[in-house]
Amino acid sequence: MLRVENLYKSFDGFMAVNGAELLVEKGRRVAVIGPNGAGKTTLFNLITGQLKPDRGKVRLDDEEIGHLPPHEVCRRGIARSFQIANIFHRLNVFKNVQVSVLSRQKNSNRFFYPAHRMAVEETDRILESVGLLDRADDIAGSLSHGDQRILEIAIALGTEPQLLILDEPTAGMSPDETSATMALIRRLSETRGLTILFCEHDMDVVFNAAQSIMVMSHGKTIIQAEPGEVRRNRAVQEAYLGGEEDA
Amino acid sequence: MGKNGSSRITVLFLAALGILLLFLPSMIPRFYTYILSLIFVTALLAMSLNMVVGHGGLFQFHHCVFYGVGAYAFALMITKAGLPMWLSFIAAPLASALAGLMIGWLCVRLTKLYFGMLQISLGSLIWAITFRWYSLTHGDDGIHGIPMPGLIAGTTGAYYFILLFFALCLLVMYVIFKSPFGMTLQAMRDNPDRCAAVGINVRRHQLTAIVVATFFAGIAGVLFVVLERTVFPDLLFWVLSLEVFIMCLLGGWFTFAGPALGAAITVALRTFVGIYTDYWTLVLGTLLIFLIFFLPEGVMGFILEKLESRGRKEVSGPRGV
Amino acid sequence: MILFIVCSGLSYVLGVLRVPNVAHGSLYMIGAFAAFSITKLVAGPAGFWLALILAPFIVALVGFVAERALFCHLYEREHLMLLLFTFALSLILGDLVKIVWGAEYKSIMAPAVFDGTVSIMGASIPKYNFFLLMIGPFVAVALWLFANKTKIGRIARAAAVDREMVGAVGINVSWVFAFAFVLGCFLAGLGGALVAPTVSITLGMDHNLIIEAFLIVIIGGLGNMWGAMVGSLIFGLSQAFGVLFWPQFAIVFPYMAVVIVLIWRPKGLLKSVW
Repeated sequence: MLRVENLYKSFDGFMAVNGAELLVEKGRRVAVIGPNGAGKTTLFNLITGQLKPDRGKVRLDDEEIGHLPPHEVCRRGIARSFQIANIFHRLNVFKNVQVSVLSRQKNSNRFFYPAHRMAVEETDRILESVGLLDRADDIAGSLSHGDQRILEIAIALGTEPQLLILDEPTAGMSPDETSATMALIRRLSETRGLTILFCEHDMDVVFNAAQSIMVMSHGKTIIQAEPGEVRRNRAVQEAYLGGEEDA
Repeated sequence: MGKNGSSRITVLFLAALGILLLFLPSMIPRFYTYILSLIFVTALLAMSLNMVVGHGGLFQFHHCVFYGVGAYAFALMITKAGLPMWLSFIAAPLASALAGLMIGWLCVRLTKLYFGMLQISLGSLIWAITFRWYSLTHGDDGIHGIPMPGLIAGTTGAYYFILLFFALCLLVMYVIFKSPFGMTLQAMRDNPDRCAAVGINVRRHQLTAIVVATFFAGIAGVLFVVLERTVFPDLLFWVLSLEVFIMCLLGGWFTFAGPALGAAITVALRTFVGIYTDYWTLVLGTLLIFLIFFLPEGVMGFILEKLESRGRKEVSGPRGV
Repeated sequence: MILFIVCSGLSYVLGVLRVPNVAHGSLYMIGAFAAFSITKLVAGPAGFWLALILAPFIVALVGFVAERALFCHLYEREHLMLLLFTFALSLILGDLVKIVWGAEYKSIMAPAVFDGTVSIMGASIPKYNFFLLMIGPFVAVALWLFANKTKIGRIARAAAVDREMVGAVGINVSWVFAFAFVLGCFLAGLGGALVAPTVSITLGMDHNLIIEAFLIVIIGGLGNMWGAMVGSLIFGLSQAFGVLFWPQFAIVFPYMAVVIVLIWRPKGLLKSVW
C-alpha cells in the first residue's frame, strides 16, 4: 500500500534520511524503530508532506505523493499523529475532533450554517471509540498528557484514513496508559481494518503490537522483517538493541 | 455573550440594548449621538481586524490600509467619478476586499512575523502613494465636504444608517464565527500544522478570511465617510492600525464581541479624556501597559472568565458564546 | 547614515531581545530634543559637542528606567506582548516630550566648523553630512567589535539564541537584556542628537522614523547589523533615486524597494540572527 523507495533528505549538509526503504502492506501494523536521531520522525514528515525529499520516492498505491503538501496527503487517506501533542488547545475536545471530521466532509468552508449542529454523530462516535466522550466539553489544553495523546489519535481518525501514522503514540505515558493505548491501536487495526504505521522507543510495545518491523540507523534502513527475524538479526543488535535495553 | 442556559439572557440583553440604541438620539445631546456613531464605525473596524488576528492568528499589523482604501474609494467614487451613492456604497468595500486579496495573497505564503512585516510594508506603500498622489487624493489635505443624501446627512440620520449596517455586519460576522469556516479558522490559529495534517488547505482558508475581513473593514471605511464627510491619509497610517490592534487586545481577542467593547472604551475614553487634557496618548499608553500586565485576555475575556468560574464546567467560548 | 546608526540600535535590540522596539523612534526623538536643550544651556560649539556626548546617555538612562521598572518583568511573555509594551512606551514617551518641551518646532545649528561644503570626487557635500558619513562606519565597527569581541557582547549573542542555557550557566539573563536594551537606546539617542542640526525637531519625528527604521531592519535581516547598513543604503539610495526621477513620489520609492526585497527574500537580505 505504502512504499518508500530510496529516500534521502539532508538539512544544511546533515543527512537526516540516508537511503530509507519501507513497505507497509494493507491492514498490517508496521513499526519503525531505531536509536534517537535515526531519522524516524523525519521519515514520517517526508511521507506526510511536511518535508519534501531530496531524492527517492514515496508511493501510495502506485501514486507518487512525496511532493504533495500535507493537506493533499491527508486527502489521499493518510492521517497522522505527532510526537509532541499537537492539538487545538483553546478548543474543547469535541471541537478538536469535529474540525477534522468537517474537513473530511469538505465542510470546512461552509459559512452560513451553525457549526455545532454539523457532524455531531460522527464526532461522538469517534470520541466514544477512543473513550473520550465524557470529556467532550473539556478544553483540550486542560487534559492530561496521556489523554492529549489519545485526542491526537481521535483527531487523526476524524479524517477516516486508510493509513494511520503514529509518531511515538505512547511517549510519556504511564504503563497503564501505554497498554490502554496499545489495546486501542490493536482494536482500531482489527475492527476497522486500518493500516497502522508507528514508531516507538518502547520495545515491549513494538514487539507486541507490530507485525512487521523496520529498523533505522543514521537515516538508513537496516532491515524490515517480522519481529522474530529482527530480534535475531546481528546488524540490528549491534546498531540498536546491543547492550542497551530501551524499554 | 451567553452559554447554553444563559443564552436567553443574552438575547434579552441584546434586545434591550437594541431598543435603547434606537431611542437614544432623541434623548441625548447631538454630540453624544455623534460619538456613538463613531464608536459603531470603530467597533466594526476592530471586529474585522479580530477576525484575522484573534480568530485567525495572523499578524495583520496594518489592517487600516483596507479601512482607508474603502473610505477613499467611496469618497473618490462620489466626488471624482460622480457615481451614484448606492453603487459607490457597494463598490468601495469590494475595492477593499480586492486590496485584501492582493496583499493577502502575497503575504499568506509567509508565516507569522514575516507575514506581518510584508503586510506592514505593503500597507505603508499604499499609504505613501495616497499621501503623495495629490492630484487624485489631495494628499495631506484630504478630501472634505463629501456630499451625502439628505436622509443620512444629519447626525441623527447618519446614526441610524450606521447603526443599521453595524448591526447587519455584526450579525453576519457572528454567523461566520459560529460556522464551520469560523471554527476551522480558530483551529488554524491554534495549530496550522495540525489543520494541514487533517486535510485543510490552510493558506486558502486564511486568504478567504482576510478577504472577508477586509471587506468588512471597507464597509467601516464607507461608514466613516458617511459620518465625517471627509477622508485623509491618517486613516491609512500605521499608528491607527496599532490603535485598532490595542482595541482588540483591550476588549479581548479570543471572544466574539470583545473588540467592539474595546473600541467603545477607547473612543469614549479618547473623547472624554481629550476634554480635560491634551495628553491622550499618554493615557492610552499607560492603559495599555496596565492591560499587558494585568489583563492579557482583555476586558471581555476577564468578564467571561469570571462568569465561567462561577458556572460548573469550563466551556470554551465558541461552544456557547 | 543617520538611519544606519538608529537602525543598528534597533537591529541590535531585535537581535538580542527578539523584540522590535517601537519606542526606538521616541527615544530618537528624545535624543534630538535633549540635544536641543543642552545646546540652549551651553552656548556655542562646546554645547554641540557636549550634546552629542550627553544626549545619548540621557536617552540610555530613560531606557534603563523603563526597562528595569517594567520591561524586564515581561520577558517571559510572548513576543506580541513585548511589542505592544514598546508601543505603549512610545505613546507615553511621545507625550512626555510634549509635556517637557512643548509642541513647537525647535532647531539647533551645527557649530561653525561644519559650515560650507567639502568636495568629494567632484560632488560637493555639506561638511556636516560628510561628518555623518564618517561617523557611520565608525559606529558600525565599534558596535561590531563590541558585539563580537567583548565578553558582554558575546554573552548577549548567546542569550539571544538560547536564553535558558545562558541562565543555567549562572549568568543573570535579565541584566544582559537590560544592557542590550540600554545600548540600543544609546544608539537611538546618538542618532537623534546627530540628526538634530539637519532637520527641524518636531513631535512627529518618532512616527516618521520608526516605520522607516523598521522597514530597513526587516529588509536587512532581523538582528543583523550589517543588514541594517545594507538596508539603510538601499533605503537612502532609492529615496535619492526617487527625488531625481519623480520628485512628487519620492517617498514611494523606498517603500517600493522594501516591498520588492521582501517579496523576493521574505526573511531579509542577509542572514537573520533568529
